[in-house]
Amino acid sequence: MTPDFSPPPAAPQTVLLVDDEPVARLSMSARLKRLGYRVLEAGDGKTGLALLRQERPDLTIVDWMMPEIDGPSLCELVRRDPLLQSSQILLMTGHDQPQQIAEGLARGADDFLSKSASKQEITARVQAGMRAASLVRSLERARDDIQHKQELLERELQSAADYVRSLLPPQGAILPGATVVHAFRPSLGLGGDLFNIVEWGDAAMGLYLLDASGHGVSSALRSASLSTFLRRDSLRHQVGSNDPGAILTEANRCFPMTEDGGYFTIVFTRLDARTRTVTYASAGHGGALLQRADGHILALSQPALPLGFCPDTRYESRVEPLAAGDRLLLFSDGLYEAPGPTKELWGLERLRAAVQRLRPLELERIPEALLDEALEWLGHDLFPDDVAIVAVEVKG
Amino acid sequence: MHITERPVPNGVVLDINGDLTYANRERFKTAVSALQQRGCRHMLLNMAEVRFVDSSGLGMLALVSQNFKLNDARVSIVKPQSYVREIMGLANLPKLIPIYDSEQDALSGRAHAA
Repeated sequence: MTPDFSPPPAAPQTVLLVDDEPVARLSMSARLKRLGYRVLEAGDGKTGLALLRQERPDLTIVDWMMPEIDGPSLCELVRRDPLLQSSQILLMTGHDQPQQIAEGLARGADDFLSKSASKQEITARVQAGMRAASLVRSLERARDDIQHKQELLERELQSAADYVRSLLPPQGAILPGATVVHAFRPSLGLGGDLFNIVEWGDAAMGLYLLDASGHGVSSALRSASLSTFLRRDSLRHQVGSNDPGAILTEANRCFPMTEDGGYFTIVFTRLDARTRTVTYASAGHGGALLQRADGHILALSQPALPLGFCPDTRYESRVEPLAAGDRLLLFSDGLYEAPGPTKELWGLERLRAAVQRLRPLELERIPEALLDEALEWLGHDLFPDDVAIVAVEVKG
Repeated sequence: MHITERPVPNGVVLDINGDLTYANRERFKTAVSALQQRGCRHMLLNMAEVRFVDSSGLGMLALVSQNFKLNDARVSIVKPQSYVREIMGLANLPKLIPIYDSEQDALSGRAHAA
């Protein structure tokens, strides 16, 4: 955006004249009016400040010598006031000694005007002040404009985050043989994490967690689009199987890498209550752990290309037996890649140690407890990337 | 992130200093496409000074490998730090871009366990 530096064409520019000597004030006021300016007058510093606040003149000309609030003091008051501090001030004095000029400038005046200045000099200095004032005003307008647009953008991201949230499964969902709880913390810029459940009748359910690379609304849209592909009816038509490896193989074909290098990592699991197994396939996703009832942890990951990297990749399923009390934990990289104050990442090892330590907690408390551990490492409460945690416990 | 270009016999090395992440994607893309436009046949990404690669960084590497392959050109990764190596291993990236322990190995194309 190019800031507009030209003054607004409409109303005449306004000069506020603050001088306790009526004759001098009258004469300067007349000159300024002849130059085409609108002139406001104040007989002392206090009235001057009040008019500054009320009228926001383009330029203020202040006499140095005044009772109570003198010129330099008025300058100081203006510079300390957040609403007035960008005002343009010309300080007027009878004795234009270099030392005095330096003091006036140091205390907040923008320029000097000698009382003995010629008509031409007054005109030139007032015009220079006006030019500076228009420049400052247009910068302020540009800043306000940017702030406004930033707010709009943040609202857009917030509503996209709300939409993503609306796609998530209900908290504490009871499914065949398992309970599912989760936590989702979208980052300020929105990171493209999404997870959901696919209900396959009485005995089986699918559970996946995906992360679209990149940030912002486009990542969130791509995630939503992949999650639509992963709905039960769509899977039946497009894949014809509930095998995680087959599902990822087909998803990889349907979602090639975008021109900007956009892709997905995903872990897809199928929990089978009848055979008491978890079948899983992963595409470049590191965050999947199986914790046995005795606390032992197994990483459910295999080196595999993320979705979209290579069109003919075949993803293979692996199977693990399940027993009552086993917990399946899926997370996005935003959790274990939380950077600490020295930029060192929390890391998978520390995450595993936390999962181990938190084992005695009830399942319902696990997602928030893991978030707390990562937040402690982070040192503040704003994750730079989305964080998603899904925890499942196998019932007896 | 800071990227410098260094010609070597039969290739060009990009010395990457900093993180290969979403925030730095434009700088990386610019450096790579400058090489591509000049018809570089073998680009070596020296990642000794890269502490972190995020998901966008991995995507850029995959994209670069696809683009180079289309033009019958090669990309090699040289000396990644252990955490970066782990992230790339998880994404099976070595399947797309070979990883070497030295520029010499990369230039001779000597097979090496990544």
